[in-house]
Amino acid sequence: MSKDRLTTVLESWEAVIGLEIHTELTSLNTKMFCGCPVQFGGESNTRVCPVCLGMPGALPVPNESAVEATILAGLALDCRISRWSQFHRKNYFYPDMPKDYQISQYDLPFCVGGGVNVEIDGDGCAQRLDRAAVGADPDGTYTTRIGITRIHLEEDTGKMVHVGGSEGRIAGATHSLVDFNRAGTALMELVSEPEIRTPEEARRFAQKVRLVFLTLGVSDCNMEEGSMRVDANVSLRRRGDIEFGVKAEVKNMNSFKALHDALAYEILRQGDVLDAGGTIDQETRHWDAGKKRTSSLRSKEYAHDYRYFPEPDMVPFTFDDEYIDRLRARLPELPDARGSRYMAEYGLPKHDAAVLSGDLELGDYFEQVVEGVGVPLARAAANLVLGDFSAYLNAAGSTPTDADVGPRKLARLIQLVDDGTISGKQAKEVFAEMVATGEKPRQIIDRLGMRQVSDSGAIEEVVDRVLASNAAQVAEYRAGKHGLLGFFVGAVMREMGGQANPAVVNEILHARLDA
Amino acid sequence: MAISEEQVRHVATLARLGLRDEQVAELQVELNDILVQIDRIQALDLTGVEPTTHAAAITNVTRPDVVRPCLPRSEALRNAPEQQDGAFLIPKFGG
Amino acid sequence: MTHDLSTLTAGRIRDGIAAGDFTATDMAESALARIAALEGDVHAFNEVTAGLALDAAARVDDLAAAGEPLPPLAGVPVAFKDNMNLRGTNTSCSSLILESYSSVYDCTAVRRMLDAGAVPVGKCNMDEFAFGSSTENSAFGPTHNPWDLDRVPGGSSGGSAAAVSAGMAVLALGSDTGGSIRQPGALTGTVAMKPTYGRVSRYGVVAFASSLDQIGPFSKTVEECALTLNVICGKDPMDATSVDMPMQDLAATMRDGVEGLRVGVVRDLMALEGCDPRVRACTMDAVEVLAGLGAEVGEVDLPSCMYGMPAYYIIGPAEASSNLARFDGIRYGHRAEGAEDVMDLYLRSRAEGFGPESIRRIMLGTYALSAGYYDAYYGQAQKVRTLIIRDFEKAFCDYDVLVTPTSPTVAFKIGEKSSDPVSMYLSDVYTIPVNLAGIPAVSVPCGLVDGLPVGLHLMGRHFDEATLMRTAYSYEKAAALDMRPPLASALGV
Repeated sequence: MSKDRLTTVLESWEAVIGLEIHTELTSLNTKMFCGCPVQFGGESNTRVCPVCLGMPGALPVPNESAVEATILAGLALDCRISRWSQFHRKNYFYPDMPKDYQISQYDLPFCVGGGVNVEIDGDGCAQRLDRAAVGADPDGTYTTRIGITRIHLEEDTGKMVHVGGSEGRIAGATHSLVDFNRAGTALMELVSEPEIRTPEEARRFAQKVRLVFLTLGVSDCNMEEGSMRVDANVSLRRRGDIEFGVKAEVKNMNSFKALHDALAYEILRQGDVLDAGGTIDQETRHWDAGKKRTSSLRSKEYAHDYRYFPEPDMVPFTFDDEYIDRLRARLPELPDARGSRYMAEYGLPKHDAAVLSGDLELGDYFEQVVEGVGVPLARAAANLVLGDFSAYLNAAGSTPTDADVGPRKLARLIQLVDDGTISGKQAKEVFAEMVATGEKPRQIIDRLGMRQVSDSGAIEEVVDRVLASNAAQVAEYRAGKHGLLGFFVGAVMREMGGQANPAVVNEILHARLDA
Repeated sequence: MAISEEQVRHVATLARLGLRDEQVAELQVELNDILVQIDRIQALDLTGVEPTTHAAAITNVTRPDVVRPCLPRSEALRNAPEQQDGAFLIPKFGG
Repeated sequence: MTHDLSTLTAGRIRDGIAAGDFTATDMAESALARIAALEGDVHAFNEVTAGLALDAAARVDDLAAAGEPLPPLAGVPVAFKDNMNLRGTNTSCSSLILESYSSVYDCTAVRRMLDAGAVPVGKCNMDEFAFGSSTENSAFGPTHNPWDLDRVPGGSSGGSAAAVSAGMAVLALGSDTGGSIRQPGALTGTVAMKPTYGRVSRYGVVAFASSLDQIGPFSKTVEECALTLNVICGKDPMDATSVDMPMQDLAATMRDGVEGLRVGVVRDLMALEGCDPRVRACTMDAVEVLAGLGAEVGEVDLPSCMYGMPAYYIIGPAEASSNLARFDGIRYGHRAEGAEDVMDLYLRSRAEGFGPESIRRIMLGTYALSAGYYDAYYGQAQKVRTLIIRDFEKAFCDYDVLVTPTSPTVAFKIGEKSSDPVSMYLSDVYTIPVNLAGIPAVSVPCGLVDGLPVGLHLMGRHFDEATLMRTAYSYEKAAALDMRPPLASALGV
């Protein structure tokens, strides 16, 4: 990889990045503080009630499953669960916030501390210039632990559509329309420590967090639809400095690529400003994925003073060992553990285990295949899932869950290779047919007459015929020209239309020729 | 602690109250009268006293994650000062 | 046929309907007739709900005609403070900002009253958003005290108190954040109760200070108070601060007498300078009556309660400033004309919609919570709250019931204190500590000074409403006062 501008900036400046990840708990039936259903989209203001509309006199009552989901997230990410916790009110006026305060958490969040290990491989390693110091392998791969400051629970806002301007933007709008369907949806906020140093680490960290949340089943974590929103705080400091620089907050990144690109842009921008002797404004900047740049929001800003105070409409929470242990027992197998198991139990190489455990759906699919074929064939299953199957998913733009080829069919295909019905080469062809027609492997093999002949009687008959009509070559072979074996195999296979089991053919040829 | 006119204006902005100048002046006097009373507790040494945030000494009150009926949209919008297409209409935001 | 509601109790009404002496419709019509006759003078109501009343009465009459058992408040005309939501009514909180706000759901306590057969006659005037002690801070004009129309009925639930006092409703619900039920109860000669915080759901009552607010009843007798408490109390899944604590049948246990009951007169609070000596004397006479009934009387000090007023005027406004943020002109309520943008809409809608006392409290509360002041104000006030709770805990080791006057004075003249917020704030000096501690308290009429009612303030342990009802009932029976205002008893209907 040639030295790019990012590398140049990072040579003199170190980036200090912290992420705030807001995740809507979309797997819940209801909102955070009322019984309105949680769904995406729909007719405006049809999933609202007095509570989430902030009608006078309505009161919030916390959703017990939302609290549990947050504690589960905390346990999965190695956090300490607070013994004493409560909600606070964050007071500020905003037209899509019905009560003009957000029920959130302040100094007593549900989960504190914690962190995840993030493995960086591939091209992105190069962004970390001091990777050797953090123990990188010769190929650049390194693992870094990103600390988590806290995870707390709060409520989401409604949505505004700006009318009269262009494309629903604020600028130029004459008025706005407010829909409160989303208002009050449970929102889990994770704040990382400012321990991220490169855009790639930020992307991998966010992906890892998303994977954990998907594994827990607390959210669909859809960045495009906004059920997972990642904001970043970025600052630069001279390499070797300890003090942090002035940070900018970057918002509106609705994919992991956008997160990476926005951070890379922002590092370049700040580097340019600082290199020119300028200073960074502490401000919020918007990522424009089209123009590939961040820009200051520059809206009329009023001084914020959130006037946090304990939410008097709800009582505090205490979480004792029994409660925490009960939830811990509900934790599913987490991605890191899954990867280790693939290596230990299935004997998969590290890379394969990482790829399979790094994608919840693909991992689930793989395990269903393994269930079908048995552990001894797990490596074959991994090869097929990571090979032809993944290639097909990419080509079709499909996901393992939506794939036309289900895990049972794939397992059957592996078994048919294993029991010698078809060859590995034929399996590729059968797989292509499975994708094309949706037929079962057995049907395809029958239809194409592809069946491999392993019956030694039938093969012996052909072998004897071939040897009889190639007496000269037989003599040469017996005289020591053992390279002729391939000639005999080819002749037998030709004779049998390619359907003979090559192993059996070999065995019989040896028996006849070497006798 | 006495409150200044500037603070009165700042607090009014935080509270989104568009006060007239004479209201600001009046409120400064009234708030200071009240603050004189309130300041009696400033002198107390309450080090080590836990604050009481909730009157009821209970914890962990939640509800099950069960759907309840929503309001019909007509009811949700019944008191809307202005509405359009089933949404609350507001003037332009920001600017 | 109309009846004199100033002489009928809730129990008598239900029994009378069951016995066929009269119908629920008779009762509703009687209430509406009295309202028609007196409302011009008293102005207890923001809205009279004749249609809802007659419909509810007809349902009770249908039940009675079918020989079905009647619920405890069957056919009883009731009024609700205008900060309680009831579908089919406006809930204005006596504020321009909610003047035409139409309720889209029911307050739980209101719902429980109606489910118990009560007949809703109207929504009562109040100090705007319950900010006040005289009902003068209403955007729709003051309520007049039925005992003397030139005087205030107290507040903030003054309309509810006046309605019951004048017999325009047999029962009423109010809300009490620092004395807003008990003080007007005292000033109008009605029985007025603030239950333990958490006893009654707050769902549907427009919040003033969430950690202090509690709904409670007004009635003419202690028995009706007990009856109503049994109806409205209980855990509500819609209010996370409501408590699941079983309540005894108060109307039964109140008859157990006060023999051996330990009654503590709060000496330091009684001695406060602003307390009218005649009110103090009236209170001590009532204590003598209890002693005569076998109660053991002693004295106790609650030194931290001296700081109740300043703590309350931080916590109350702080919570209120947040609770009232939602009145922003976006989803409901007053919206300023022709706002150029959202900020302009907020600033003008709120400045136009809120009255002067609301603006004062919002400003005070916003200031107390703002950056740099939280610890000095809100934090300190919450610690004072702890000290007050400790004072009460200590006092309740030695006493079952604590006594003060409910209000340091009898009803004052309309306009007398309205230009001096601080002196008005002092009229809740006896009631405020109770809200800060979350304990229950009741005001029971205990005599007249200058022909105006005085209230006896009885305070009890958390969730010990039963002892308060027992004490209040014993006193009421022994004192046997006629607390009907002259205006009400003179009326022929």
